Amino acid sequence: MLHLGDENVSLCSGIRRRSFLQAGAAGMAGLTLPNLLQLETRGAVDQSKAKIRNCITIFLVGSPGHLDTWDMKPEAPEDIRGGFKPVNTNVPGIDICEHFPQMAKMMDKVALIRSLHHKTGASHENGQRWMMSGHDFTQDSMQPYMGSVVSRVFGPKSNLPSAVILPDKIGNTGTATPHGQEAAYLGSGHQPFFLGGDPSRADFKVANLQPPDGQTEFRINARRNILKELDTLQRRAETNTTIQRDTAYSRAFNLLTSPETKMAFDLTDEPDKLRDRYGRSTFGQSCLMARRIIERGSRFVTVNHFDTVFNIACWDMHADGGGLNNTHKDYEYLLCPQFDQAFTALVEDLEQRGLLEETVIAVLSEFGRTPKLNPRGGRDHYPSAWTNFLCGANIKGGQAIGSTDRIGAAPHDRPILPPQIVASIYHAMGIDLETTMMPGPGGRPIRLIEAEPIMELF
Amino acid sequence: MDQVFEGTPTAEIQLDGHRVTRGHVSNDWGSKLQWVVRRDGKDVATVPARMEATFEHDDKTAGKYEIVLQHFKYVNYRKDAKGDYTESRFIDISNVVSYTI
Repeated sequence: MLHLGDENVSLCSGIRRRSFLQAGAAGMAGLTLPNLLQLETRGAVDQSKAKIRNCITIFLVGSPGHLDTWDMKPEAPEDIRGGFKPVNTNVPGIDICEHFPQMAKMMDKVALIRSLHHKTGASHENGQRWMMSGHDFTQDSMQPYMGSVVSRVFGPKSNLPSAVILPDKIGNTGTATPHGQEAAYLGSGHQPFFLGGDPSRADFKVANLQPPDGQTEFRINARRNILKELDTLQRRAETNTTIQRDTAYSRAFNLLTSPETKMAFDLTDEPDKLRDRYGRSTFGQSCLMARRIIERGSRFVTVNHFDTVFNIACWDMHADGGGLNNTHKDYEYLLCPQFDQAFTALVEDLEQRGLLEETVIAVLSEFGRTPKLNPRGGRDHYPSAWTNFLCGANIKGGQAIGSTDRIGAAPHDRPILPPQIVASIYHAMGIDLETTMMPGPGGRPIRLIEAEPIMELF
Repeated sequence: MDQVFEGTPTAEIQLDGHRVTRGHVSNDWGSKLQWVVRRDGKDVATVPARMEATFEHDDKTAGKYEIVLQHFKYVNYRKDAKGDYTESRFIDISNVVSYTI
Protein backbone atom coordinates (compact mmCIF):
# COMPACT_ATOMS: atom_id res chain seq x y z
CA MET A 1 0.00 0.00 0.00
CA LEU A 2 1.37 3.37 -0.97
CA HIS A 3 1.53 6.38 1.27
CA LEU A 4 2.32 9.90 0.29
CA GLY A 5 4.38 11.19 3.15
CA ASP A 6 2.63 11.50 6.44
CA GLU A 7 -0.17 13.91 5.57
CA ASN A 8 -3.05 13.33 7.85
CA VAL A 9 -5.46 16.15 7.13
CA SER A 10 -9.05 15.74 8.26
CA LEU A 11 -11.76 17.11 6.00
CA CYS A 12 -15.24 18.07 7.03
CA SER A 13 -16.61 15.10 5.13
CA GLY A 14 -14.74 12.78 7.42
CA ILE A 15 -12.34 11.38 4.84
CA ARG A 16 -8.69 11.99 5.50
CA ARG A 17 -6.28 12.81 2.77
CA ARG A 18 -4.07 10.08 4.02
CA SER A 19 -6.75 7.42 3.83
CA PHE A 20 -7.63 8.50 0.34
CA LEU A 21 -4.04 8.14 -0.70
CA GLN A 22 -3.83 4.75 0.91
CA ALA A 23 -6.66 3.71 -1.36
CA GLY A 24 -5.05 5.07 -4.45
CA ALA A 25 -1.63 4.87 -5.89
CA ALA A 26 -0.86 8.47 -5.29
CA GLY A 27 2.77 8.10 -4.54
CA MET A 28 3.90 7.62 -8.05
CA ALA A 29 2.82 11.03 -9.17
CA GLY A 30 4.68 14.29 -8.90
CA LEU A 31 5.80 17.30 -10.78
CA THR A 32 7.53 15.22 -13.34
CA LEU A 33 6.51 16.92 -16.55
CA PRO A 34 8.02 20.26 -15.55
CA ASN A 35 11.11 18.36 -14.44
CA LEU A 36 11.27 16.69 -17.82
CA LEU A 37 10.92 20.03 -19.55
CA GLN A 38 13.74 21.42 -17.43
CA LEU A 39 15.93 18.47 -18.33
CA GLU A 40 15.13 18.82 -22.00
CA THR A 41 16.06 22.49 -21.82
CA ARG A 42 19.42 21.47 -20.45
CA GLY A 43 19.85 18.93 -23.23
CA ALA A 44 20.06 15.93 -20.92
CA VAL A 45 17.11 14.12 -22.47
CA ASP A 46 16.66 14.37 -26.20
CA GLN A 47 13.12 13.11 -26.74
CA SER A 48 13.63 12.82 -30.47
CA LYS A 49 16.61 10.50 -30.05
CA ALA A 50 15.70 8.70 -26.85
CA LYS A 51 13.39 6.17 -28.48
CA ILE A 52 14.09 3.57 -25.85
CA ARG A 53 12.37 4.63 -22.73
CA ASN A 54 10.95 1.40 -21.36
CA CYS A 55 12.58 -1.20 -19.18
CA ILE A 56 11.34 -4.45 -17.69
CA THR A 57 13.55 -5.98 -15.04
CA ILE A 58 12.92 -9.51 -13.89
CA PHE A 59 14.37 -9.96 -10.44
CA LEU A 60 15.11 -13.58 -9.56
CA VAL A 61 14.83 -13.19 -5.80
CA GLY A 62 16.90 -15.82 -4.02
CA SER A 63 19.40 -16.04 -6.90
CA PRO A 64 19.96 -18.95 -9.26
CA GLY A 65 23.23 -20.83 -9.09
CA HIS A 66 25.31 -19.67 -12.04
CA LEU A 67 26.81 -23.15 -12.49
CA ASP A 68 23.31 -24.63 -12.76
CA THR A 69 21.99 -22.11 -15.26
CA TRP A 70 23.92 -19.72 -17.51
CA ASP A 71 27.60 -20.39 -16.70
CA MET A 72 27.92 -24.15 -16.66
CA LYS A 73 31.25 -25.91 -16.13
CA PRO A 74 30.81 -29.41 -17.55
CA GLU A 75 34.54 -30.12 -17.28
CA ALA A 76 34.65 -29.35 -13.55
CA PRO A 77 34.59 -32.11 -10.89
CA GLU A 78 31.17 -33.59 -10.15
CA ASP A 79 30.78 -31.81 -6.79
CA ILE A 80 31.13 -28.53 -8.65
CA ARG A 81 29.41 -29.02 -11.99
CA GLY A 82 26.23 -30.50 -10.46
CA GLY A 83 23.80 -32.78 -12.24
CA PHE A 84 22.47 -30.59 -15.05
CA LYS A 85 23.86 -30.65 -18.56
CA PRO A 86 24.57 -27.78 -20.93
CA VAL A 87 22.86 -27.57 -24.32
CA ASN A 88 23.82 -25.70 -27.42
CA THR A 89 22.01 -22.48 -28.15
CA ASN A 90 21.41 -20.81 -31.48
CA VAL A 91 24.69 -18.95 -30.93
CA PRO A 92 27.74 -21.15 -31.54
CA GLY A 93 29.97 -21.25 -28.48
CA ILE A 94 27.32 -20.24 -25.97
CA ASP A 95 25.79 -23.13 -24.04
CA ILE A 96 23.24 -22.85 -21.24
CA CYS A 97 21.41 -25.27 -18.97
CA GLU A 98 19.28 -27.96 -20.58
CA HIS A 99 16.28 -26.74 -18.60
CA PHE A 100 16.06 -23.51 -20.61
CA PRO A 101 15.29 -25.03 -24.02
CA GLN A 102 13.18 -22.11 -25.25
CA MET A 103 15.71 -19.53 -24.19
CA ALA A 104 18.41 -21.55 -25.99
CA LYS A 105 16.58 -20.84 -29.24
CA MET A 106 16.70 -17.09 -28.76
CA MET A 107 20.21 -16.65 -27.41
CA ASP A 108 20.97 -14.46 -30.42
CA LYS A 109 18.85 -11.80 -28.69
CA VAL A 110 20.48 -12.14 -25.27
CA ALA A 111 23.71 -10.70 -23.88
CA LEU A 112 24.96 -12.75 -20.94
CA ILE A 113 27.22 -11.03 -18.44
CA ARG A 114 29.17 -13.83 -16.82
CA SER A 115 31.61 -11.90 -14.63
CA LEU A 116 29.35 -10.05 -12.22
CA HIS A 117 30.55 -9.85 -8.65
CA HIS A 118 30.46 -7.64 -5.59
CA LYS A 119 32.37 -7.53 -2.33
CA THR A 120 30.06 -6.15 0.32
CA GLY A 121 28.57 -9.21 1.97
CA ALA A 122 26.55 -12.24 1.03
CA SER A 123 23.09 -11.30 2.30
CA HIS A 124 20.20 -11.20 -0.14
CA GLU A 125 19.58 -7.57 0.74
CA ASN A 126 23.14 -6.51 -0.18
CA GLY A 127 22.63 -7.90 -3.64
CA GLN A 128 19.11 -6.50 -3.95
CA ARG A 129 20.34 -3.00 -3.14
CA TRP A 130 23.20 -3.29 -5.61
CA MET A 131 21.10 -4.63 -8.46
CA MET A 132 18.02 -2.47 -7.93
CA SER A 133 19.83 0.82 -7.35
CA GLY A 134 23.50 0.45 -8.26
CA HIS A 135 24.50 1.29 -4.69
CA ASP A 136 24.93 -0.36 -1.35
CA PHE A 137 23.54 1.67 1.52
CA THR A 138 21.89 1.60 4.92
CA GLN A 139 18.52 2.76 6.18
CA ASP A 140 20.17 6.10 6.97
CA SER A 141 21.61 6.66 3.52
CA MET A 142 18.88 5.32 1.24
CA GLN A 143 19.47 5.39 -2.52
CA PRO A 144 16.70 5.36 -5.12
CA TYR A 145 15.46 2.35 -7.06
CA MET A 146 16.26 2.45 -10.80
CA GLY A 147 12.59 2.85 -11.67
CA SER A 148 12.32 5.90 -9.44
CA VAL A 149 15.34 7.44 -11.17
CA VAL A 150 13.80 6.76 -14.56
CA SER A 151 10.54 8.29 -13.34
CA ARG A 152 12.47 11.36 -12.21
CA VAL A 153 14.34 11.69 -15.50
CA PHE A 154 11.55 11.05 -17.99
CA GLY A 155 8.35 11.72 -16.08
CA PRO A 156 5.04 10.03 -16.83
CA LYS A 157 3.74 9.36 -20.31
CA SER A 158 0.20 8.40 -19.34
CA ASN A 159 -2.06 8.15 -16.31
CA LEU A 160 -0.17 5.04 -15.33
CA PRO A 161 2.65 5.24 -12.82
CA SER A 162 6.10 5.52 -14.37
CA ALA A 163 7.58 2.83 -12.14
CA VAL A 164 5.71 -0.32 -11.16
CA ILE A 165 6.73 -3.37 -9.13
CA LEU A 166 4.86 -6.65 -9.68
CA PRO A 167 3.36 -8.61 -8.07
CA ASP A 168 4.55 -7.19 -4.78
CA LYS A 169 7.52 -5.67 -3.01
CA ILE A 170 10.29 -7.87 -1.65
CA GLY A 171 9.50 -8.87 1.92
CA ASN A 172 11.52 -10.96 4.34
CA THR A 173 14.68 -12.31 2.77
CA GLY A 174 16.68 -12.60 5.96
CA THR A 175 17.69 -9.25 7.40
CA ALA A 176 15.71 -6.11 8.18
CA THR A 177 17.65 -3.90 5.81
CA PRO A 178 16.49 -2.08 2.63
CA HIS A 179 15.88 -3.98 -0.62
CA GLY A 180 16.58 -1.12 -3.01
CA GLN A 181 13.04 -0.76 -4.35
CA GLU A 182 12.16 2.60 -2.82
CA ALA A 183 12.31 6.14 -4.18
CA ALA A 184 14.48 7.29 -1.24
CA TYR A 185 15.37 10.99 -1.48
CA LEU A 186 13.62 11.36 -4.83
CA GLY A 187 10.43 11.51 -2.81
CA SER A 188 6.99 9.99 -2.87
CA GLY A 189 6.33 11.44 -6.31
CA HIS A 190 8.67 8.79 -7.71
CA GLN A 191 7.85 5.94 -5.39
CA PRO A 192 7.17 2.79 -7.44
CA PHE A 193 3.62 1.52 -7.54
CA PHE A 194 3.39 -1.87 -5.87
CA LEU A 195 0.66 -3.97 -7.42
CA GLY A 196 -0.03 -5.74 -4.13
CA GLY A 197 -2.00 -8.60 -5.67
CA ASP A 198 -1.58 -11.81 -7.57
CA PRO A 199 -2.59 -11.49 -11.23
CA SER A 200 -2.87 -15.26 -11.62
CA ARG A 201 -5.84 -15.41 -9.25
CA ALA A 202 -9.29 -15.48 -10.80
CA ASP A 203 -10.52 -12.89 -8.27
CA PHE A 204 -7.49 -10.65 -8.79
CA LYS A 205 -7.95 -6.94 -8.22
CA VAL A 206 -5.23 -4.36 -7.91
CA ALA A 207 -5.09 -3.65 -4.19
CA ASN A 208 -3.94 -0.08 -4.70
CA LEU A 209 -6.73 0.68 -7.13
CA GLN A 210 -9.54 -0.40 -4.85
CA PRO A 211 -11.36 2.39 -3.01
CA PRO A 212 -11.57 1.95 0.76
CA ASP A 213 -14.53 -0.06 2.00
CA GLY A 214 -17.73 1.87 1.50
CA GLN A 215 -16.25 4.39 -0.94
CA THR A 216 -17.96 4.38 -4.31
CA GLU A 217 -16.67 6.20 -7.36
CA PHE A 218 -19.41 8.80 -6.87
CA ARG A 219 -18.29 9.51 -3.32
CA ILE A 220 -14.67 9.68 -4.38
CA ASN A 221 -15.55 12.29 -7.01
CA ALA A 222 -17.52 14.25 -4.42
CA ARG A 223 -14.51 14.24 -2.17
CA ARG A 224 -12.33 15.38 -5.02
CA ASN A 225 -14.47 18.50 -5.26
CA ILE A 226 -14.13 19.11 -1.54
CA LEU A 227 -10.38 18.70 -1.81
CA LYS A 228 -10.31 21.16 -4.70
CA GLU A 229 -12.00 23.77 -2.55
CA LEU A 230 -9.64 23.11 0.30
CA ASP A 231 -6.65 23.30 -2.01
CA THR A 232 -7.78 26.69 -3.29
CA LEU A 233 -7.45 27.97 0.25
CA GLN A 234 -4.08 26.32 0.67
CA ARG A 235 -2.68 27.92 -2.46
CA ARG A 236 -2.37 31.18 -0.56
CA ALA A 237 0.58 29.62 1.20
CA GLU A 238 1.73 27.64 -1.80
CA THR A 239 5.19 26.13 -1.90
CA ASN A 240 6.90 23.65 -4.18
CA THR A 241 5.96 20.91 -1.78
CA THR A 242 2.28 21.71 -1.92
CA ILE A 243 2.38 21.90 -5.70
CA GLN A 244 3.88 18.42 -5.74
CA ARG A 245 1.20 17.18 -3.39
CA ASP A 246 -1.57 18.69 -5.49
CA THR A 247 -0.26 16.95 -8.58
CA ALA A 248 0.04 13.71 -6.67
CA TYR A 249 -3.54 13.98 -5.41
CA SER A 250 -4.80 14.77 -8.85
CA ARG A 251 -3.00 11.79 -10.37
CA ALA A 252 -4.21 9.55 -7.58
CA PHE A 253 -7.80 10.49 -8.40
CA ASN A 254 -7.13 9.83 -12.06
CA LEU A 255 -5.56 6.49 -11.28
CA LEU A 256 -8.42 5.46 -9.03
CA THR A 257 -11.21 6.42 -11.35
CA SER A 258 -9.84 6.11 -14.88
CA PRO A 259 -11.25 3.14 -16.83
CA GLU A 260 -8.05 3.18 -18.91
CA THR A 261 -5.97 2.53 -15.81
CA LYS A 262 -8.15 -0.29 -14.58
CA MET A 263 -8.06 -1.84 -18.03
CA ALA A 264 -4.26 -1.77 -18.03
CA PHE A 265 -4.22 -4.01 -14.98
CA ASP A 266 -6.93 -6.36 -16.23
CA LEU A 267 -5.59 -9.52 -17.84
CA THR A 268 -8.97 -11.00 -18.67
CA ASP A 269 -9.11 -9.44 -22.12
CA GLU A 270 -5.81 -11.08 -23.13
CA PRO A 271 -6.33 -14.16 -25.33
CA ASP A 272 -6.28 -17.43 -23.41
CA LYS A 273 -3.55 -18.83 -25.63
CA LEU A 274 -1.30 -15.89 -24.86
CA ARG A 275 -1.95 -16.25 -21.14
CA ASP A 276 -1.06 -19.94 -21.46
CA ARG A 277 2.10 -19.03 -23.33
CA TYR A 278 3.34 -16.97 -20.39
CA GLY A 279 2.39 -19.71 -17.94
CA ARG A 280 -0.61 -19.60 -15.65
CA SER A 281 1.41 -18.83 -12.57
CA THR A 282 1.94 -15.73 -10.47
CA PHE A 283 5.24 -15.12 -12.23
CA GLY A 284 4.01 -15.82 -15.75
CA GLN A 285 0.98 -13.59 -15.42
CA SER A 286 3.09 -10.86 -13.80
CA CYS A 287 5.37 -10.89 -16.86
CA LEU A 288 2.31 -10.57 -19.09
CA MET A 289 1.06 -7.69 -16.99
CA ALA A 290 4.48 -6.05 -17.27
CA ARG A 291 4.12 -6.03 -21.05
CA ARG A 292 0.59 -4.75 -20.78
CA ILE A 293 1.39 -1.77 -18.60
CA ILE A 294 4.57 -0.89 -20.50
CA GLU A 295 2.41 -0.86 -23.62
CA ARG A 296 -0.01 1.54 -21.91
CA GLY A 297 2.54 4.01 -20.63
CA SER A 298 4.55 2.83 -17.65
CA ARG A 299 8.26 3.20 -18.22
CA PHE A 300 9.96 0.90 -15.77
CA VAL A 301 8.49 -2.34 -14.44
CA THR A 302 10.16 -4.84 -12.13
CA VAL A 303 8.76 -8.34 -11.76
CA ASN A 304 9.93 -9.89 -8.49
CA HIS A 305 9.91 -13.64 -9.06
CA PHE A 306 9.40 -14.08 -5.31
CA ASP A 307 8.95 -11.83 -2.32
CA THR A 308 10.67 -14.11 0.18
CA VAL A 309 13.05 -17.05 0.24
CA PHE A 310 11.52 -18.93 3.16
CA ASN A 311 9.32 -22.02 2.98
CA ILE A 312 8.65 -21.83 -0.75
CA ALA A 313 10.22 -23.23 -3.88
CA CYS A 314 12.55 -20.44 -5.03
CA TRP A 315 16.04 -19.90 -6.38
CA ASP A 316 17.69 -19.90 -2.93
CA MET A 317 18.94 -23.46 -3.21
CA HIS A 318 20.45 -24.28 0.21
CA ALA A 319 18.86 -27.75 0.42
CA ASP A 320 18.91 -27.34 4.20
CA GLY A 321 16.06 -29.74 4.95
CA GLY A 322 14.11 -26.97 6.71
CA GLY A 323 12.82 -23.56 5.69
CA LEU A 324 15.39 -23.19 2.90
CA ASN A 325 15.01 -26.61 1.37
CA ASN A 326 15.24 -25.81 -2.33
CA THR A 327 17.12 -28.37 -4.36
CA HIS A 328 18.00 -29.12 -7.98
CA LYS A 329 14.59 -30.79 -8.22
CA ASP A 330 12.85 -27.46 -7.70
CA TYR A 331 15.06 -25.99 -10.40
CA GLU A 332 14.35 -28.80 -12.86
CA TYR A 333 10.62 -29.26 -12.36
CA LEU A 334 9.46 -25.79 -11.51
CA LEU A 335 11.81 -22.81 -11.50
CA CYS A 336 13.78 -23.19 -14.71
CA PRO A 337 10.73 -24.22 -16.80
CA GLN A 338 8.64 -21.42 -15.31
CA PHE A 339 11.31 -18.83 -16.06
CA ASP A 340 11.98 -20.28 -19.52
CA GLN A 341 8.30 -20.11 -20.39
CA ALA A 342 7.61 -16.60 -19.12
CA PHE A 343 10.84 -14.93 -20.23
CA THR A 344 10.67 -16.24 -23.79
CA ALA A 345 6.96 -15.39 -23.98
CA LEU A 346 7.72 -11.84 -22.94
CA VAL A 347 10.46 -11.42 -25.53
CA GLU A 348 8.28 -12.90 -28.30
CA ASP A 349 5.25 -10.89 -27.31
CA LEU A 350 7.13 -7.59 -27.16
CA GLU A 351 8.74 -8.36 -30.50
CA GLN A 352 5.42 -9.17 -32.18
CA ARG A 353 4.01 -5.86 -30.95
CA GLY A 354 7.02 -3.87 -32.11
CA LEU A 355 7.86 -3.03 -28.50
CA LEU A 356 11.05 -5.03 -28.10
CA GLU A 357 13.13 -2.47 -29.94
CA GLU A 358 12.11 0.20 -27.45
CA THR A 359 12.18 -1.91 -24.30
CA VAL A 360 15.24 -3.08 -22.38
CA ILE A 361 14.78 -6.38 -20.57
CA ALA A 362 17.19 -7.06 -17.72
CA VAL A 363 17.20 -10.33 -15.80
CA LEU A 364 18.90 -9.70 -12.47
CA SER A 365 19.65 -11.47 -9.21
CA GLU A 366 21.50 -10.78 -5.98
CA PHE A 367 24.53 -13.03 -6.39
CA GLY A 368 25.68 -16.42 -7.59
CA ARG A 369 25.83 -19.63 -5.62
CA THR A 370 28.83 -21.51 -4.25
CA PRO A 371 30.74 -23.46 -6.89
CA LYS A 372 31.14 -26.46 -4.60
CA LEU A 373 27.93 -28.25 -3.66
CA ASN A 374 27.33 -28.25 0.08
CA PRO A 375 27.08 -31.61 1.89
CA ARG A 376 23.33 -31.69 1.28
CA GLY A 377 23.72 -31.12 -2.45
CA GLY A 378 22.68 -27.48 -2.39
CA ARG A 379 24.58 -24.29 -3.05
CA ASP A 380 24.88 -21.29 -0.74
CA HIS A 381 25.22 -17.53 -1.30
CA TYR A 382 28.17 -16.46 -3.42
CA PRO A 383 28.64 -12.80 -4.43
CA SER A 384 32.10 -13.39 -5.95
CA ALA A 385 30.75 -14.46 -9.35
CA TRP A 386 27.46 -14.77 -11.15
CA THR A 387 25.61 -14.31 -14.45
CA ASN A 388 22.81 -11.89 -15.31
CA PHE A 389 21.64 -10.83 -18.75
CA LEU A 390 20.04 -8.16 -20.88
CA CYS A 391 18.16 -8.16 -24.15
CA GLY A 392 15.82 -6.04 -26.24
CA ALA A 393 16.15 -2.40 -27.26
CA ASN A 394 19.64 -1.59 -28.52
CA ILE A 395 21.31 -4.47 -26.65
CA LYS A 396 23.58 -6.51 -28.90
CA GLY A 397 22.49 -10.09 -28.34
CA GLY A 398 24.29 -13.36 -29.04
CA GLN A 399 27.26 -12.67 -26.82
CA ALA A 400 28.68 -13.56 -23.43
CA ILE A 401 30.56 -10.69 -21.85
CA GLY A 402 33.19 -11.63 -19.29
CA SER A 403 33.86 -15.11 -18.01
CA THR A 404 34.67 -16.93 -14.80
CA ASP A 405 37.51 -19.30 -14.01
CA ARG A 406 37.28 -23.05 -14.62
CA ILE A 407 35.09 -23.67 -11.55
CA GLY A 408 33.05 -20.46 -11.66
CA ALA A 409 34.67 -19.14 -8.50
CA ALA A 410 35.80 -15.70 -9.68
CA PRO A 411 35.75 -13.51 -12.77
CA HIS A 412 38.44 -14.61 -15.20
CA ASP A 413 38.20 -11.64 -17.53
CA ARG A 414 36.23 -8.40 -17.79
CA PRO A 415 35.08 -8.30 -14.14
CA ILE A 416 31.86 -6.34 -13.86
CA LEU A 417 30.27 -4.70 -10.83
CA PRO A 418 26.54 -4.08 -10.26
CA PRO A 419 26.70 -0.29 -10.83
CA GLN A 420 27.92 -0.99 -14.38
CA ILE A 421 24.74 -2.97 -15.04
CA VAL A 422 22.62 -0.10 -13.75
CA ALA A 423 24.62 2.41 -15.78
CA SER A 424 24.11 0.21 -18.84
CA ILE A 425 20.35 0.14 -18.33
CA TYR A 426 20.22 3.93 -18.03
CA HIS A 427 22.43 4.27 -21.10
CA ALA A 428 20.27 1.82 -23.05
CA MET A 429 17.25 3.93 -22.18
CA GLY A 430 18.84 6.95 -23.81
CA ILE A 431 19.95 8.77 -20.67
CA ASP A 432 23.19 10.70 -21.05
CA LEU A 433 24.99 9.87 -17.82
CA GLU A 434 27.45 12.72 -18.31
CA THR A 435 24.87 15.47 -18.43
CA THR A 436 21.86 14.15 -16.55
CA MET A 437 21.78 14.98 -12.88
CA MET A 438 19.18 14.51 -10.22
CA PRO A 439 18.61 16.23 -6.92
CA GLY A 440 20.43 14.24 -4.24
CA PRO A 441 19.97 14.48 -0.50
CA GLY A 442 19.42 18.11 0.42
CA GLY A 443 18.73 19.04 -3.18
CA ARG A 444 22.39 18.89 -4.20
CA PRO A 445 22.68 17.81 -7.87
CA ILE A 446 24.34 14.45 -8.25
CA ARG A 447 25.02 11.97 -11.06
CA LEU A 448 22.57 9.14 -11.48
CA ILE A 449 25.26 6.51 -11.03
CA GLU A 450 29.01 6.53 -10.52
CA ALA A 451 29.87 3.93 -13.11
CA GLU A 452 30.31 3.60 -16.85
CA PRO A 453 28.03 1.53 -19.09
CA ILE A 454 29.31 -1.78 -20.45
CA MET A 455 29.88 -0.61 -24.01
CA GLU A 456 30.15 -4.11 -25.48
CA LEU A 457 26.41 -4.36 -24.93
CA PHE A 458 25.66 -1.73 -27.57
CA MET B 1 4.12 -14.92 -1.82
CA ASP B 2 4.20 -18.46 -3.10
CA GLN B 3 3.36 -19.05 -6.73
CA VAL B 4 -0.33 -19.52 -7.46
CA PHE B 5 -1.34 -21.65 -10.41
CA GLU B 6 -4.48 -20.82 -12.29
CA GLY B 7 -6.88 -23.44 -13.68
CA THR B 8 -6.23 -27.08 -14.54
CA PRO B 9 -4.01 -27.88 -17.51
CA THR B 10 -5.43 -30.09 -20.24
CA ALA B 11 -4.24 -31.25 -23.64
CA GLU B 12 -5.34 -33.71 -26.27
CA ILE B 13 -2.86 -36.17 -27.74
CA GLN B 14 -3.22 -38.24 -30.90
CA LEU B 15 -1.51 -41.38 -32.07
CA ASP B 16 -0.39 -41.96 -35.64
CA GLY B 17 1.32 -45.36 -35.85
CA HIS B 18 3.73 -45.18 -32.93
CA ARG B 19 4.12 -41.42 -33.15
CA VAL B 20 2.20 -39.29 -30.66
CA THR B 21 1.37 -35.60 -31.14
CA ARG B 22 0.11 -33.17 -28.55
CA GLY B 23 -2.17 -30.21 -29.09
CA HIS B 24 -2.12 -26.91 -27.23
CA VAL B 25 -1.87 -27.16 -23.45
CA SER B 26 -4.61 -24.99 -22.05
CA ASN B 27 -4.04 -23.53 -18.58
CA ASP B 28 -0.36 -24.32 -19.01
CA TRP B 29 1.28 -23.74 -15.61
CA GLY B 30 4.70 -23.33 -17.19
CA SER B 31 6.27 -26.06 -15.07
CA LYS B 32 7.91 -29.17 -16.51
CA LEU B 33 5.97 -30.98 -19.21
CA GLN B 34 6.84 -34.58 -20.06
CA TRP B 35 5.78 -37.65 -21.99
CA VAL B 36 5.44 -40.78 -19.92
CA VAL B 37 5.66 -44.15 -21.63
CA ARG B 38 4.25 -47.20 -19.85
CA ARG B 39 4.75 -50.76 -21.01
CA ASP B 40 2.37 -53.33 -19.61
CA GLY B 41 1.43 -50.85 -16.89
CA LYS B 42 4.97 -49.96 -15.77
CA ASP B 43 6.68 -46.59 -16.46
CA VAL B 44 9.58 -47.23 -18.82
CA ALA B 45 10.47 -43.73 -20.02
CA THR B 46 9.93 -40.04 -19.30
CA VAL B 47 10.85 -37.58 -22.02
CA PRO B 48 10.74 -33.75 -21.96
CA ALA B 49 7.73 -32.56 -23.97
CA ARG B 50 8.03 -28.78 -23.92
CA MET B 51 9.97 -28.27 -27.13
CA GLU B 52 8.61 -30.93 -29.43
CA ALA B 53 4.91 -31.47 -30.03
CA THR B 54 5.54 -34.95 -31.43
CA PHE B 55 7.31 -37.94 -29.93
CA GLU B 56 8.03 -41.51 -30.92
CA HIS B 57 9.31 -44.02 -28.40
CA ASP B 58 12.07 -46.03 -30.05
CA ASP B 59 11.98 -49.12 -27.81
CA LYS B 60 10.51 -52.07 -29.76
CA THR B 61 10.28 -54.55 -26.89
CA ALA B 62 7.04 -56.52 -27.14
CA GLY B 63 4.20 -55.35 -24.93
CA LYS B 64 1.29 -52.97 -24.63
CA TYR B 65 2.46 -49.35 -24.67
CA GLU B 66 0.54 -46.42 -23.21
CA ILE B 67 1.62 -42.80 -23.55
CA VAL B 68 0.32 -39.80 -21.63
CA LEU B 69 1.33 -36.16 -21.23
CA GLN B 70 2.18 -35.05 -17.70
CA HIS B 71 2.66 -31.67 -16.06
CA PHE B 72 4.41 -30.94 -12.77
CA LYS B 73 1.92 -29.81 -10.16
CA TYR B 74 3.57 -27.70 -7.49
CA VAL B 75 1.75 -27.83 -4.17
CA ASN B 76 4.63 -26.93 -1.88
CA TYR B 77 8.33 -27.69 -1.71
CA ARG B 78 8.18 -30.23 1.14
CA LYS B 79 10.39 -33.25 0.58
CA ASP B 80 11.19 -36.40 2.45
CA ALA B 81 14.59 -37.44 3.73
CA LYS B 82 15.51 -38.78 0.30
CA GLY B 83 14.70 -35.43 -1.27
CA ASP B 84 11.50 -36.56 -3.02
CA TYR B 85 8.46 -34.32 -2.98
CA THR B 86 5.81 -35.40 -0.52
CA GLU B 87 2.89 -33.44 -2.01
CA SER B 88 3.98 -31.85 -5.29
CA ARG B 89 3.97 -34.37 -8.15
CA PHE B 90 3.50 -34.95 -11.86
CA ILE B 91 -0.12 -35.32 -12.94
CA ASP B 92 -1.64 -36.66 -16.17
CA ILE B 93 -3.13 -33.84 -18.23
CA SER B 94 -4.09 -35.67 -21.43
CA ASN B 95 -5.98 -38.65 -22.71
CA VAL B 96 -3.97 -41.87 -22.86
CA VAL B 97 -3.07 -43.41 -26.22
CA SER B 98 -1.87 -46.95 -26.64
CA TYR B 99 -0.42 -49.41 -29.14
CA THR B 100 0.87 -52.97 -28.97
CA ILE B 101 4.09 -54.44 -30.31
